[in-house]
Amino acid sequence: MSKELTAFERSDGRWGLRNHVLILPLHSAFSATARKIADESNGAVAVSHDWSGEVDGDFDRIVKTISGFAANPNNFATIFITIGTPNELGIIELARKLGLSKAEVLNVAELGSMGKIAEIGLQMANSLLKEAKAVSRISAPWSAIKLGQECGGSDALSGITANPALGVASDRLVELGASSVLGETTEILGAEHLLAARAITPEIGARIVETVARYERSINYEGIDMRGAQPSRGNIEGGLTTLEEKSLGAAKKAGSAQFSGVFEFADQVTKPGLYFMDTPGHDTEQLTGYGAGGINIIVFTTGRGTPTGSAIVPTIKVATNTTMADAIPDLIDLNAGTIADGLKTLSDVGGELFDLILEVANGQLTKAEKGLHHEFSLSRMYNTIIR
Amino acid sequence: MRKVLILNEKDNIAVCLVELAIGEVIGQDGLNLTIQSLIPRGHKVATTAIAKNEGIIKYGERMGHATTDIKVGEHVHTHNVLGDRLSTEQVV
Repeated sequence: MSKELTAFERSDGRWGLRNHVLILPLHSAFSATARKIADESNGAVAVSHDWSGEVDGDFDRIVKTISGFAANPNNFATIFITIGTPNELGIIELARKLGLSKAEVLNVAELGSMGKIAEIGLQMANSLLKEAKAVSRISAPWSAIKLGQECGGSDALSGITANPALGVASDRLVELGASSVLGETTEILGAEHLLAARAITPEIGARIVETVARYERSINYEGIDMRGAQPSRGNIEGGLTTLEEKSLGAAKKAGSAQFSGVFEFADQVTKPGLYFMDTPGHDTEQLTGYGAGGINIIVFTTGRGTPTGSAIVPTIKVATNTTMADAIPDLIDLNAGTIADGLKTLSDVGGELFDLILEVANGQLTKAEKGLHHEFSLSRMYNTIIR
Repeated sequence: MRKVLILNEKDNIAVCLVELAIGEVIGQDGLNLTIQSLIPRGHKVATTAIAKNEGIIKYGERMGHATTDIKVGEHVHTHNVLGDRLSTEQVV
């Protein structure tokens, strides 16, 4: 029998696997101040972004991303830095609706100076960190785990070692009652028929196929030559030839469980089971979207050693090959390359990864957390038209 | 140790677990092929002759098609394979 899962229970019944105090700028101009507060504090985290209040085709997507990220259950509290515009205050309101119980606001219009923001922000952060320390983990059900699956810097071993090992761990978690999410629409193109066949209803299967078709139509409409980006130059050097090949390997992350539904980008993941989320293939946009959807732990398989992590969601790096795992040990949490070396079986490494997910869920820091890889990217569908 | 990995019995390629040099002979798992060009680790080698326009099968599934005839033991990659999907590829 596995060890017990412990987590932080939030007032609305959600579970956090971390207890972060997040400093979140609601305008790009406060990014540096947010980082300064976090750096000087006793352990708060911050993110930066490039949104400056534009209201364009991506407005709803950006509002959804920022408010969802603020409300992630891994946050004990979120401190917003805002100019005080109705749109920015609307994001705070939305985060509260999504379940953020502790929201603090540093309003530049009211405080009048950046110096004051930094000073009051630091006091606020340290006081919240003290409160957060007083909260203990308690025994949690498996449904507390909302796992996000990601692959970045794929090579030809991804689909043979790390991805299927994640599939083994994901299947076990889903069976126990956790949520597990496959994303990256670009990277299931060519494999969607296989995933659709595993949907619990024909309607869900059709939605998986339609999500990919919608993406394909948009690419064709834009006249983008996907071959420049997918497979990427790194993928091709690693031995991947076509997008379909990459997708067949990427889909191995989702194991063999049935798909219980399809989410739009950054939708809230509330129920147990395996799901597909329409996310971009770009690593940091995808990680950010997962965080905005309430995903509280991520497994990231990599062939080339992508350092990307998240400020608030622990990200476990699984190497697809031993050469890379040995070359950058400070980035890799688990080496699945042992499968290709003939040293371990898929079920061995899948079991090790399951155990590691539990350890990390219970508080063990990942390499990406230790290395402070706090990347954050907003995903956009359109060009910014209002400047 | 195995030099190549066959992922599915329907496949017409195998994945190289080590770099393979020209002239190297692979005799494992009932294969009998002589490597025709240097193949880096992680890349694919043809385990049967593949005709132009024929599908490339990996994991038992189609991942694209040959743009030229491919000999047994040849490196299978972007120089002789294209994906089936996306209009930009079909134009070529």
